[in-house]
Amino acid sequence: MKSIKTMIKTVAFIAALSLVCGSFLIAAPAFAKELSVFAAASLTESLTRIAEEYKKIAPEIEIVYNFDSSGTLKTQIEQGAECDIFLSAAQKQMNELDIESDPKINTKRLDFIKKGTRFNIVSNKVVLIVPKDRNTKGIGDFKDVVTDKVSLVALGNSDVPVGQYAEEIYEHLGLWDTLNRMSRITFCSNVKEVVSQVGVGAADCGVVYSTDAAAAAKSVEIAAKAPAGSHRPIVYPAAVMKSTRLPVEAAAFADFLRSEEGARIFAQFGFERPAK
Amino acid sequence: MDFFPLYNSLRVAAISTAVAFFAGIAAAYYIAKTPRIVKGILDCILTLPMVLPPTVVGFFLLKTIGPFGPVGAPVLELFGGRLVMVWYSAVFATTIVAFPLMYRTVRGALESFDENLLYSGQTLGLSNTYLFWRVVLPNCKQGILAGTVLTFARALGEYGATTMVTGYIPGRTATISTTVYQLWREGNDALAYKWVAINLVISAVVLIAVNLLESRYAQPENAARDALREDALREESVRDGALR
Repeated sequence: MKSIKTMIKTVAFIAALSLVCGSFLIAAPAFAKELSVFAAASLTESLTRIAEEYKKIAPEIEIVYNFDSSGTLKTQIEQGAECDIFLSAAQKQMNELDIESDPKINTKRLDFIKKGTRFNIVSNKVVLIVPKDRNTKGIGDFKDVVTDKVSLVALGNSDVPVGQYAEEIYEHLGLWDTLNRMSRITFCSNVKEVVSQVGVGAADCGVVYSTDAAAAAKSVEIAAKAPAGSHRPIVYPAAVMKSTRLPVEAAAFADFLRSEEGARIFAQFGFERPAK
Repeated sequence: MDFFPLYNSLRVAAISTAVAFFAGIAAAYYIAKTPRIVKGILDCILTLPMVLPPTVVGFFLLKTIGPFGPVGAPVLELFGGRLVMVWYSAVFATTIVAFPLMYRTVRGALESFDENLLYSGQTLGLSNTYLFWRVVLPNCKQGILAGTVLTFARALGEYGATTMVTGYIPGRTATISTTVYQLWREGNDALAYKWVAINLVISAVVLIAVNLLESRYAQPENAARDALREDALREESVRDGALR
């Protein structure tokens, strides 16, 4: 009987202790200010580096990233996800959230963007990648996907900007319908998935941004660059969201992204300044 | 409407259920006879795919049967065929993920099996094979049936491991689960709902069919006893005939 009593007392003590500690842990994030940044997957490496640099300037701000395809992020924002800043890999996804854009694009008349905060941040290029050091078939051109050299090509699906750019390129080359009829495309849900599928050899080649090819240089290599004029200029827009609870901090971070320091870090990872 | 995902999902689920059925029963039967430590270790290894997140299983699978992996590379060289990004890659993924369900359910059924039936069969001089197929299995019908249903359901609904090893190639590797995800991503909610409805109908049909089967096999002990009694009576009549 005595041992059971001691056991109950010990358990009660531990429970109380963990409750107290737990409540501290829950309260802790309230002490640091969290900025929620939704960004296209292709910005993973560069934005992570930028967050490290920004920590030195504004140590009280904690940047929490959500990296995924711009289409997924746009859907998440539309359905009420908490987001302070959105960086998209194409104008389309930003336009769909911007009340000031063409009603034909923003058909649902969504109004998520804070007025006057939208700007273009970087531009990128699209390339064809193959597994590193294993390009035995000698794939060297976007047109090679309809030949015997390629049995499977990985592209982003129609919700992913890089998939949309790939579709534009193949429409321009007149090969899109042929490619679909051949059942040769595997559709991935974001650009990093395309990189992984090519890197592990599951697909013979894939269409990604040059920055992603550089970031994954250990597993993939560039086989071809997109032909000039085959797609719209790849410009990444960024904007502060209307629903942000930290408008001052969000604006400050957006200014940092636009600054010389920010541009320098983006350039390190292969991004270019957008043509205004 | 393209019905390929339906056809593909059903054939992948059917094949992996068949494989898991035989493999699960065999594993449960033989492992039940092993010493305790061996049984514990094998149990852990074989149940692991059920406990691991499907994406972890898919990751290991991709690294193994991918064109640069330890299994995929030799197969590619010897047979010229790839093991990933084809419809049967899903069979590998779903079998691995669903096998533990069959294994554990059958093991549970075998462990609650009344050993006396086995012993009385042995006293009648019946072989182990005969005892397994005519006494043990009929007795465990409930457990085996339950295991088969779970396995089929799991195989039909498998997404994480499947998407990693088969990707999404419309008309070649699309399953119902990967198609619904794609359609949602493309914003085609109407078509996604249609596939959800189809999936619900299939699941309902399978479950109703299983319920009907289960009620028929409601008393498995009687089936085994009847079989033994039949043979005992037959032997008696043969003896009686010989005496007369």
